Amino acid sequence: MAKEVMRRTASDNEYLHKDFHGSMSVGIDYLDAHYGPEAVRDYLRQFTASYFAPLIERVKMEGLTPLKEHFERLYAVEGAAIEARLSRDELVIRVAACPAVTHMRACGYPVARLFSETTRTVNEALCEGTPYAAELIEYDEDTGRSVQRFFRRAS
Amino acid sequence: MISCTDFIPAYSELFKFLEQKGGQEAVHDFWNYLSDRFLTNLRDLVAEHGIRGCWLYWSHTLNEEAADFTMELDEEAGEFSITMHQCPSKGRLLACSHLEPYHDYCGHCAILYKRVLEPLGYEYAIDLSEVDRAACRVVVRKAGKG
Repeated sequence: MAKEVMRRTASDNEYLHKDFHGSMSVGIDYLDAHYGPEAVRDYLRQFTASYFAPLIERVKMEGLTPLKEHFERLYAVEGAAIEARLSRDELVIRVAACPAVTHMRACGYPVARLFSETTRTVNEALCEGTPYAAELIEYDEDTGRSVQRFFRRAS
Repeated sequence: MISCTDFIPAYSELFKFLEQKGGQEAVHDFWNYLSDRFLTNLRDLVAEHGIRGCWLYWSHTLNEEAADFTMELDEEAGEFSITMHQCPSKGRLLACSHLEPYHDYCGHCAILYKRVLEPLGYEYAIDLSEVDRAACRVVVRKAGKG
């Protein structure tokens, strides 16, 4: 049997490993089972505050436009069509099917009981310290279809 | 939703969160859990194809992760190796200037795969001495061939 060699550089492929959604789901499931549902939310808040700090700063300075651009980019990378409607003080995102849930269902991976928190809690945390708030108006557990709303807090 | 392209920082932050909760033991417990729950495809491929199963598994994952690597398979010698010239995961963490990577981020690779491969009769060795520049080397051998 001949020796086989595969050599690749980063530019040979697009960076898109959707199985990471399955690993995320296992992580959510683990936190839920071992530390409880509030630990899931605490973790997602901590992650969002750290990783998305530059985006949150832009929302403070520029309003909802950076959030709209963020979601358009995020879902486009995953190959999912969304409808994003922005008015002066409100942004409504309609997602026909969550690409993470779609991938996990297609591969037969279990979807964590609290997987929707990766949308609800992350969106709420994106608004922390800004004049805005977030609510998950609709979420379908089977497909991840959702309606996500961001709006100016009542002062 | 957290995009799969944002997963690596989310993963690193999860390790930090778990360490705050229960120390390094909590992090290792999660890695064992993840290995048992999620690496069934590696387990199945190696159980069916022998050491070629490693080649099949990492051919898929490393290409999707756009890694810079050299992978070698010598079935006669019972050896498989990955020389990771630039790990996309660690590379992304190092490039993220506003985020400090989990101090033992690359430790998950040592635990996750060893836990799958050793019970199947393979030795799994990983050299993490150059992870500060996102490089490492993995060697899998049929036990008793080294």
